[in-house]
Amino acid sequence: MRPLYWGNCKMNVLGIGIIFAGGRGIERYEDALKRGWQRPGEFDVPRIQKRLPVYAVAQETLADKLVLKKMRRADKLSKMAVLAASDALQDSGTESAGNRMGIILSTAFGAHQTTFDFLDTIIDYGETQVSPTIFSNSVHNAAVSYIASALDITGPTLTVTRFSFPFQSAFQLAQLWLLDGRCDSVLVGVADECGEVMRFIFDRKLSTAPDGKVRPFHFSPASPPVPGEGSVFFLVSGKSPEKAYCRIDDIAFNCGPGFKGASDIDLIDSDGTVDGTAYLKALSPTVPVAAYSPLFGSLMTGSAFNCAAGALMIKRQTHYASPVLENPHRINLLDITGPARIDLMRSIGYNCSAESAVICLRKSRL
Amino acid sequence: MTGKTDTEKTSVLITGLGVISAAGAGMAMTLESFRRGERNAGAVSLFTTSLECPVFEVRQIPSSFIVEKSRTLSLALCAVDEALSSASLGDLTRLRVGVSIGTTVASQLNDLEFYRSYRQSGDAPMEVVDRYLKGNIAEFIARRISARGPALTVVNACSSGTDAIGMAFSWLKNGLCDIAVAGGADELSLVPLCGFSSLGIVNQSLCSPFDRDRRGLNLGEGAGILILETGASAKLRGKSSELRILGYGASADAYHLTAPRPDGAGLEASLDKALAEAGIKPEEICFVNAHGTGTTDNDLVEGKVLGRMFGPDLKVLSTKGFTGHTLGAAGGLEAAFTAAGLSEGWIPSSPGFRNKDEEIPLTPVREETMIKGRYALSTSLAFGGNNAALVLGKL
Repeated sequence: MRPLYWGNCKMNVLGIGIIFAGGRGIERYEDALKRGWQRPGEFDVPRIQKRLPVYAVAQETLADKLVLKKMRRADKLSKMAVLAASDALQDSGTESAGNRMGIILSTAFGAHQTTFDFLDTIIDYGETQVSPTIFSNSVHNAAVSYIASALDITGPTLTVTRFSFPFQSAFQLAQLWLLDGRCDSVLVGVADECGEVMRFIFDRKLSTAPDGKVRPFHFSPASPPVPGEGSVFFLVSGKSPEKAYCRIDDIAFNCGPGFKGASDIDLIDSDGTVDGTAYLKALSPTVPVAAYSPLFGSLMTGSAFNCAAGALMIKRQTHYASPVLENPHRINLLDITGPARIDLMRSIGYNCSAESAVICLRKSRL
Repeated sequence: MTGKTDTEKTSVLITGLGVISAAGAGMAMTLESFRRGERNAGAVSLFTTSLECPVFEVRQIPSSFIVEKSRTLSLALCAVDEALSSASLGDLTRLRVGVSIGTTVASQLNDLEFYRSYRQSGDAPMEVVDRYLKGNIAEFIARRISARGPALTVVNACSSGTDAIGMAFSWLKNGLCDIAVAGGADELSLVPLCGFSSLGIVNQSLCSPFDRDRRGLNLGEGAGILILETGASAKLRGKSSELRILGYGASADAYHLTAPRPDGAGLEASLDKALAEAGIKPEEICFVNAHGTGTTDNDLVEGKVLGRMFGPDLKVLSTKGFTGHTLGAAGGLEAAFTAAGLSEGWIPSSPGFRNKDEEIPLTPVREETMIKGRYALSTSLAFGGNNAALVLGKL
């Protein structure tokens, strides 16, 4: 089947920054991949008189007196995004490239907690006494503004949002910016938070797994999800393959997972939030499958976290066992951690309408 | 590179336009309103507020476009319908169509009654959440018109509409789709009204962009949509258009969350990029539809940069005097107005301008002005330090 739209992508991942419930930095993420599933924290949601598990980013993880020194008033979403973007740049070993570097942030819900904080000021103090600082920080693109200022990036900057495939869409746009020559490198990533109201909404709409465990391979009926939050950024460029984690070979939408040759490992975005029948139908019995949502939780931008795992696996030539191995449908799970020869991986996502997005990650070649 | 030497394969045509704002529903009505110099502002009527300031509300959205409790989507549908009609596009199911739309309000779950209910009782109606989840504007429009190409909502504050058009421009140049529905939409909402008021930049009377005595902006609402299409696609379906998108430039200030960089370097860089992509020189620009909000800082920075780059005789206007600042819709509306100006050969007077600001080396047009030339610019500056510019051409 001819894809409805696709990108013949040739960009390299030069650096990764990540902040998630397990901590900050690609090394911490690698530790989490090796360690396997850990029970997430539980948090009181007083207004609904419930205690819920959430893969939340701890305030201590955001403690940084260097990168965040000029943004004390920024909210959690912005701080997560700035730290992840800064770490991706540092991880790449390159310097900020001023106006030749761009930023694209994709988010499903944006700074919703700050928006609710702003509504608090309207309700509590009246329309004429609201906080301009909170309002400014509630705007979706505040996080990117902080990133640009913190890293002195003056190229194109963009914040985008959608609920299906937010990361894949942004990743594809980064590729176009490189192809168009709008910049030489792009910090492209995701950020989403799970504040109090979102925890309530998540629990009401989807329920929350009481034991805090995401079971990505239950597929249908899906096992209850557990909300997550965090940020991942990738520094991508068409150049410098010698420093790369991997090359992004293709980003394709609505063409099913089988449009290209078989991969060594398939990563799936299954996280309990949508029925997974489409995954079950699409997976090949000969290709090992992994899903890392049990490490970072269920969130619409989770594909970026899976891609970070994929890029790391290709760079290290190591595969990491899926953190939760419950496998009622007996699919071919990646269930051991160890050295491997990995040339091609696919990151596969389906939405609730069984539309697909596939990112192909391939070992870089000089 | 696309530009004035474009080929059929790489050219990006504007084959349709659709607008709705306080100035009118539809381009024809809007241009008549511009000619008459009408400024259809008044007190807020859409919601209860203690804030007293003029706003530019859309008087009536045709009933066939009403989406219950989603005014932004209703406005967008109205403009999309006009744009598709003017592009002679009907059934899109067999075409590769992308949707790229900017917004601010529609991207936020900011329903005050929902939140009040949650605060008071620990419960709140999930219909509000369902509506929000179904209301991502690009996804909603794509579903509604059966567009099956890329769909992405741009939330770059006040430059969202311009950046959305720029993004669609990249999609088309790189073959991700053949046709793109691109622009912006936003409704008047209490939340930004309170927010902008708290920043002290809302004018208590009608705005006067670039005027010496300007005292801030008026909020507005609306939607502006362009149908962009590759030359090859237009040719295939027998559609021609003299209008083009020729260049897009965007740059960050990396300076401040709400204030523009005083030296305007970010805006200048975005203009340079847009002109370079279009392959034209500053002196070839025949007019600029400026961001021109009517705030002290924006107009000073923008006016200085435009004067520096294009000289004191540049024909410049801000249509926000007719529409108010429509936030995420502004870039879409203003690009559509710029295209109409090129096509019609005239631009309206810049409403509200009376006295020249000696610090701004430009004088906006004071009367309806004939345009001779093939290239024009539309600019946007935004919260967060985003600067974006589009070069439009009439070839």
